[in-house]
Amino acid sequence: MRQSVNIRTGNVLLGAFLVLFLFAAGAVAQSPAAKVTKIDDKAFAELIKPGEKPLLINFWATWCVPCVEEFPDLVKIDKEYKGKIDFITVTLDFEEELDAAVPKFLAEMKAEMPTFLLVTPDETAAIKSVSKDWQGGLPFTVLYRPNGEMVYSHQGVVKHAVLTGEIDKLLPAAPEN
Amino acid sequence: MRRKSILFVALFLFIALISGPTVSADGIEVGTKLENFKMTATDGKEYSFDDLKGKNGAVIVFLSAQCPVVKAYIERIDTIAAEYKEKGINFIGINSNNRNAESLEWVTNDAAENFKFTMLIDTDNKLADQFGATVTPEVFYFDANNVLKYHGAIDNDRSGKNIQEQFLRTAFDAALSGKDIEKTRTNAFGCTIKRVGMAGK
Repeated sequence: MRQSVNIRTGNVLLGAFLVLFLFAAGAVAQSPAAKVTKIDDKAFAELIKPGEKPLLINFWATWCVPCVEEFPDLVKIDKEYKGKIDFITVTLDFEEELDAAVPKFLAEMKAEMPTFLLVTPDETAAIKSVSKDWQGGLPFTVLYRPNGEMVYSHQGVVKHAVLTGEIDKLLPAAPEN
Repeated sequence: MRRKSILFVALFLFIALISGPTVSADGIEVGTKLENFKMTATDGKEYSFDDLKGKNGAVIVFLSAQCPVVKAYIERIDTIAAEYKEKGINFIGINSNNRNAESLEWVTNDAAENFKFTMLIDTDNKLADQFGATVTPEVFYFDANNVLKYHGAIDNDRSGKNIQEQFLRTAFDAALSGKDIEKTRTNAFGCTIKRVGMAGK
């Protein structure tokens, strides 16, 4: 009798372990470690150069509450417009968060946009190179045409419908059936 | 002829009246003279700018109780404030965030714990709007005649680990020695001031 209880307890423990293992494996598969690249002002200047597609940039930080609030919408937009636009995010987190809070947050958000951590001794120049109307508050979102012309910028939380409306204006209309 | 002159003067006075202090999209411009104003502080008392300023002027610094960038600057702000109070330049803190973002109790406790200068409560972010202040921390340095001499960041490095330029100290030192301030306007990344009705806490 006692032996059968022990066997049953063993089976339950084995089953629980198996469930935990599968759950953990699933969680890892859903949240790959997000890569964050540290850049200086020169690399940043290269990053915001015009390309072949519209360029969307979101400036944010894990310490910025409105940035964190709007991030799920940005992840959604990235999925909706993948291949149609270039979308990058630039975090202004402190450098020590490069391998800590930033990748952890991106993994939680399941974010796939390339993310860069900007470290520059001249923030005034970096801010002015993005938009003359920006004073450095976060979050800040900016959209450029492929020729580099800025068509939209917003300091504060962006509305999904507003941003997608602006992006759509830059994309060729879908052919009518 | 006389009637035309009167009309011209009236028109000029009207334009001068509605234009007020020089404010651009970038905030009040360096060189603008600040009119004295009154505001209630975290201690419940009302102060005027002229009451709080030193013999060589004052710095209005927009602050926040929750902003990590402000937290990273607390020690530096207190050091500069103590040093330049001796030289006649006083610091005046202002909290312009809405009360959903930061309760009055939180701001009061934070001010008492971290800063040795008066913290004014900018209800409905009126002063932030007048100044064009958008982030915390953001400083506006006025000289003894209440003329804006410098607007922007305290230094070039939020973390404090790699400071290469001490914008505010440099501005103070130049003004105190009667020299021109080389950099009168800078920007820095910071926490957006949570204005009334703004999304996000």
